[in-house]
Amino acid sequence: MTIVIFGGNGDLAHRKLLPALYNLHVDGLLPPRLAIVGVGRKEMTDDAYRDFAKEGIGKFSRRPLDEQAWGAFSKMLFFVNASIDGESGLAPLGAKLDTIEHEGGMKSDRIYYLAVPPTLFAPTVRQLARSRFVARETAADADAPFARIIIEKPIGRDLDSARAINDAIAEVFDERQIYRIDHYLGKETVQNILVMRFANSIFEPLFNQKYVDHVQITVAEEEGVGTRAGYYEQAGALRDMIQNHLLQLLAMVTLEPPHALDADVIRDEKLEVLQSLRPIAGDDVDANVVRASYAAGFITGKPVVGYRQEQGVDPNSRVETFVALRIFIDNWRWAGVPFFLRTGKRLPKRASEISVQLKEVPPILFNARPDARLDPNVLSIRIQPDEGFSFGISSKLPGPDVRPYPVKMDFHYGSTFGATTPEAYERLLLDVMHGDATLFMRRDAVEAAWRWVMPILDHWSRQNAALPTYPAGDWGPAEADRLIEAGGRRWRPL
Amino acid sequence: MAAAVAERLFRTSSADSIDADLAALWRELAQRDVPIARAVMSNLVVFRDRVAAPDAHVEAVMTDLPLDDVVARHPSRLIVLEHESGREEPDAPFASGVGIATFGPESARYGIEQIVVRAACTEASLPSIVRRLARGDLPTSVWWTEDLAAVPLLESLVTMGRQLVYDSRDWRDVGAALRVLAPFVEEHRVDLADVNWRRLGPLRRALEHAASETGKPVAAAGARVRIAHHRDEASLAWLLAGALMAAAKRPATPPHVEAAETGDAALVVTIEHETERATITLSSAGATVERARAGSPLVVSMPLESEAEAVAAELRLLSQDADLHAALAALVRLF
Repeated sequence: MTIVIFGGNGDLAHRKLLPALYNLHVDGLLPPRLAIVGVGRKEMTDDAYRDFAKEGIGKFSRRPLDEQAWGAFSKMLFFVNASIDGESGLAPLGAKLDTIEHEGGMKSDRIYYLAVPPTLFAPTVRQLARSRFVARETAADADAPFARIIIEKPIGRDLDSARAINDAIAEVFDERQIYRIDHYLGKETVQNILVMRFANSIFEPLFNQKYVDHVQITVAEEEGVGTRAGYYEQAGALRDMIQNHLLQLLAMVTLEPPHALDADVIRDEKLEVLQSLRPIAGDDVDANVVRASYAAGFITGKPVVGYRQEQGVDPNSRVETFVALRIFIDNWRWAGVPFFLRTGKRLPKRASEISVQLKEVPPILFNARPDARLDPNVLSIRIQPDEGFSFGISSKLPGPDVRPYPVKMDFHYGSTFGATTPEAYERLLLDVMHGDATLFMRRDAVEAAWRWVMPILDHWSRQNAALPTYPAGDWGPAEADRLIEAGGRRWRPL
Repeated sequence: MAAAVAERLFRTSSADSIDADLAALWRELAQRDVPIARAVMSNLVVFRDRVAAPDAHVEAVMTDLPLDDVVARHPSRLIVLEHESGREEPDAPFASGVGIATFGPESARYGIEQIVVRAACTEASLPSIVRRLARGDLPTSVWWTEDLAAVPLLESLVTMGRQLVYDSRDWRDVGAALRVLAPFVEEHRVDLADVNWRRLGPLRRALEHAASETGKPVAAAGARVRIAHHRDEASLAWLLAGALMAAAKRPATPPHVEAAETGDAALVVTIEHETERATITLSSAGATVERARAGSPLVVSMPLESEAEAVAAELRLLSQDADLHAALAALVRLF
């Protein structure tokens, strides 16, 4: 098998892909005959590429670099200077693959990873087809060498552009050959959502409108826009985070029990959720969605500049770095339950969590005093950092008085299993090698998410008022607090 | 009795890697043969205003205060914030360390996270440190270890917590400290927990018993109250004065409070009302109420309680002490 990484000498390969493949190698999970071929416009020898990979692994790998393991891994690495321009731009890649696969006695199973900007997805795929690298896969020829393609978000910046990308790829690859990565879905705790819900009898009976008061999904980033200003100015938090990561998390936590763990069965259930989202359009956008951008503030004691003062950002930018939404899922299970989603940059810490807050017990017995209400039961799923989940309950404090105190039943991956959890890319790359698309986004789900997001973007595009701001290092603007507090609830601090 | 630390792991850290370093320590502990539960019921932010030696090790902070004893009794994510207010450096925090202390027998061992941050940054930036380090899903208590009159409360920091713990025994100037506390008393911003207030417990219970025996309060409205206190117990005397004022619903004459020779007693209180006279003594043994024309003195013993036990007990209460609040409100009006 050969993994071909377009953009092989880029940042994603350096920080994520090559370290992930190295860790899979150390864990003995890579197939016995594997080559990893980086493709880029830059002239680079195989040895130079190995140095590039070694540096990335040394800096970003979950496991420290082990010279013996590296020695074997480095032999799998190759680099080709090739271009998608012109009729024969990929000819050097073809020649290199033929050599590697012939000398290694490999079957021509290939995975093409497009670690390139989305604008290059369609041209790259067309060039792959033109160069006869891809055969459309059918169920009939299961033993034939396979060709699979991995693409990264963003898949478009609106519904039309997403469709255009999907159409272009579909001209060459069958849907079963396409793996759209949302790296959030590769995280252990996200995968654990299904296990938690459907491998335990305690939770699933509670996951419905009868018992759940509301659900919060927070994906908080401590970093600012950093070096991504060029991209971010065209995207914003709704496109960058909500349309993909947060809606995927929402789908995972609310989907109906699938009848099997097959990729398409689970993806069908996720699609059902996305199709059940109550549309937010017109004036409803202002009532249910808050956007803002960060102003100057402090992060862990250090002063930081506001978004509009960041390098590469338009000083008059109206791009949101924070979004909070109130969402309803109009299906039998979740009717009337509000879902509050929020994400932002320059929040106090990097933390992602799904919290399911159950309804309060009646205001009698231990919950009778209005000035001393019990903390509600909350199931919180920590996606990062400190992966795990906890269940908040009330317990009697030791002592002569009967005083309830909020305590937690807490599960931590780190202190329970004593090992670092695999990085999302490790799991996802392995799944592609195995042909398991469960954790990847299907075309219909991507387009359903865009279809739901578009009325919000359209409404915003007609507005000119200045965006609210929030100080960097704070949990968002006051408007977001008002959004949730209108229903007598409050954001859960992380 | 001090809580025995079974094992302590500690390493210097940086502001950016505190979570990762703590996670690594937990993974290290998970390799032990003894299972260790992660215990955390709340965040405890300990504020200290210090000018530490430049080469001082952050771990040393852990030995200056009975922090292990507190968190062993009330498991909390401990965040010690050492603020060097004398020199403001925008690039702070400049030193930090993380640790895990484990307690308990092998059959029930638990571990507590401990974080020390030394910072000289602006006051406005301090909340961002706590926001970053506290577990937001747990109640947060702020333990102000300084004399409020000398190091006034930082409002933005204190109001991040649900509870403010302090010890009025540290107060050198009761009036000045009360003026610092006044906004928090008047606006009910946080639950106030005064460790010193606990020492008045036996005396307050003795007064209640005495009142129930006679059917009328010992310090009825219009009573003349004199509180003589040991020279180190001015704040305790004033707390009692506040409690009596609150109980008597604004008496015409506030209690007379003065330092005096009180022997072994912390407080000696005399209350005169019409023809009745009562003397209440508070010492380390407890409170004694002696009334003219009454039988034997009424005695309520003082619980044996270390500073750590007192702080932990306050952390567990986690609710507004209405009597303390009423006493402070009366004092704030007086001062």
